[in-house]
Amino acid sequence: METNQLVLDTAERMFRDHCDKALLDAAEQGHYAADLWALFASNGLPQLATEVGGGSLADVFHLLRVAGRFAVPLPLAEVLIGNHLLGASQCGPTEARISLGIADSHSAEGGEVNVELTAVPWARAVERICYVIGDPLEIVLLEVADCEITEGANIAGEPRDGVRFVGVPSRCGSPPELDVARIFEWMALARAAQMSGALERVLELALLYAKERKQFGRPIGGFQAVQHNLAVMAAHVAAALRATDAAIAALDSERRSVQVAVAKARVGEAAGLVAEMAHQVHGAMGFTHEHQLHHFTRRLLAWRDEYGREIYWQQRVGRAVAAQGADAVWDFVVAQ
Amino acid sequence: MDGLRFDDISLPPQAVALRGEVREFLNAVLPRQYLPNSDFNCGHDPLFSRALGERGWIGMTWPKRYGGGERSFFERYVVTEELLAAGAPVSAHWIADRQSGPLLLRYGTEPQRQRHLPAITRGECFFSIGMSEPDSGSDLASVRTSARAVDGGYVVNGTKVWTTDAQRNHFMIALVRTDAAGESRHAGLTQLIVDLASDGVQVRPIRNMAGDEDFNEVVFTDCFVPATSVVGKPGNGWEQVTSELSYERSGPERFLSAFRVLVELVRAVGAEPDDHQAAVIGRMVGHLMTLRQMSISVAGMLQAGASPAVEAALVKALGNDFEKELPELARLTAPHLNEGHRFRATLAQTLLHAPAFTLRGGTREILRGVIARGLGLR
Repeated sequence: METNQLVLDTAERMFRDHCDKALLDAAEQGHYAADLWALFASNGLPQLATEVGGGSLADVFHLLRVAGRFAVPLPLAEVLIGNHLLGASQCGPTEARISLGIADSHSAEGGEVNVELTAVPWARAVERICYVIGDPLEIVLLEVADCEITEGANIAGEPRDGVRFVGVPSRCGSPPELDVARIFEWMALARAAQMSGALERVLELALLYAKERKQFGRPIGGFQAVQHNLAVMAAHVAAALRATDAAIAALDSERRSVQVAVAKARVGEAAGLVAEMAHQVHGAMGFTHEHQLHHFTRRLLAWRDEYGREIYWQQRVGRAVAAQGADAVWDFVVAQ
Repeated sequence: MDGLRFDDISLPPQAVALRGEVREFLNAVLPRQYLPNSDFNCGHDPLFSRALGERGWIGMTWPKRYGGGERSFFERYVVTEELLAAGAPVSAHWIADRQSGPLLLRYGTEPQRQRHLPAITRGECFFSIGMSEPDSGSDLASVRTSARAVDGGYVVNGTKVWTTDAQRNHFMIALVRTDAAGESRHAGLTQLIVDLASDGVQVRPIRNMAGDEDFNEVVFTDCFVPATSVVGKPGNGWEQVTSELSYERSGPERFLSAFRVLVELVRAVGAEPDDHQAAVIGRMVGHLMTLRQMSISVAGMLQAGASPAVEAALVKALGNDFEKELPELARLTAPHLNEGHRFRATLAQTLLHAPAFTLRGGTREILRGVIARGLGLR
């Protein structure tokens, strides 16, 4: 446990020192945060959840929450989970800049593979792209130099690029006991963890602003209407943190799928609500590009849509509950 | 920020083991035609409470010398959540078990404990809360019921209101004014155990909008209460009353009141819900799981001896909103069913009681104020 806290503290210090408004603005102009990446890599963090790094997947999600708190403009979820997968494969983890995608389909004839990936984070700026497909899971590694990249971005201005590849890739094999559904769950939980961090930050910003900003001769946080909005935000942030932690704790249990579904849906709900209320507290100031609030709120709006919107995960839970029947609803709720 | 972190807590095995025992018990004692209601206020059944007492499931965490079980908060948690989820009639002993007993354990005199606690654990002695008055709701410190010191005790005059089950229960712990408020309006308040069968106590049921007579007006006219009935110290009533709140606000009864609507919805839609029904059920179950984990986390804080007032307010605020949202979403997505169908009956009961969910035990507005204080805004 102590080691993990050390990793989180190291990451937090790093992000606090380097992720300022200027870096976030530059990233949105397409500049890859090379210095921050170099620092992150020099601490061995990209391989955290590999034999080299000695950490677990749970550590990855806790780290991603910290990253979310600072809106770190690097594809960290993709790097950390990508290396976790590569570490379990014939290819092994890499020190290269990588991103990660999930392929719906690909055609493989002889040694040649033809594949198209959508919304790959920072594909334009990394060296390799790891993608996964199928059940049992297959892991494939592409050199970006051999790919055709179509630049795109999500609502937060984070690069989400199209990738087309025809050629002979590195086939890394199939780690046992994994399928593509599992990776989809991990990525959904990654976004939930990032959102839970961003939610903490957005609440913190709103509280600071409410205590500073004066109208009618006193801080607006002194008005009951504003206090109540902040209380509601705090309640949803607390629920989002709890739901995410529960899913992280269930990673190795039979409850994994259910808890991840609940986390992505619950955190996604909180994201929309808390982002909206944070802007209301900040008034026009928070609507300016100059203010940092939007870097976090736009990420909340983007991340809730990535790897399954709330309704997708709610339906999965709802169908599982219905399949077990009315008299087992309570059992479903309390199962550990 | 304090008060936002709800630690991961897995219920210990001895707590989980109780689940099966409670279910077996309920199967044996509840009549077959019983319509479950997971609202803790709906269902006053002294025989049921007595049977529960025989099993040792009232006062579970209290010392054995007072009839308790010296079990953990987690074991009590499992028993209470199983009872509520099954919609068992728990109202009679609920307040005595949840807060009157713990209050007496903390502040009561030895004779008070000897007299009341063993009887509570047997399911034979029921308590009501005596806080609100016609002119004092959320502003509790403004209570006007007076207790004038006389030889050997106090003479009480005034009116308490919204007193659940006062017409059926044995005692009320009344918050009364024994002295004028000094510099602090919280001074001069005292808690008294009042025997509801005493002379000078008049109980008048108040019919609620659901047609039930659960709560009451209780009028005290020169009612003599012996000095031995003072809980704790005279004048210390405010501190004592607020210390009950973490127990009162964080339990599963704060998000399970509408649970049976969800159960009947799942029954009504069957094994293959449509997309909308699946989403509603999934959303509700997800919220419920998260709330429950937050509530168990608070039980862990109580077990560790903490007084998590802000966390408790947070659970209750989110939980009450959930209880109100559940029937609303359920009614929109349920298949068409005739009046009299089990789903419709459960839904109607819940909708008619829902206004109380965000009022009782601290209104939504009061809870948000408590949370705001925890956030450093007041």
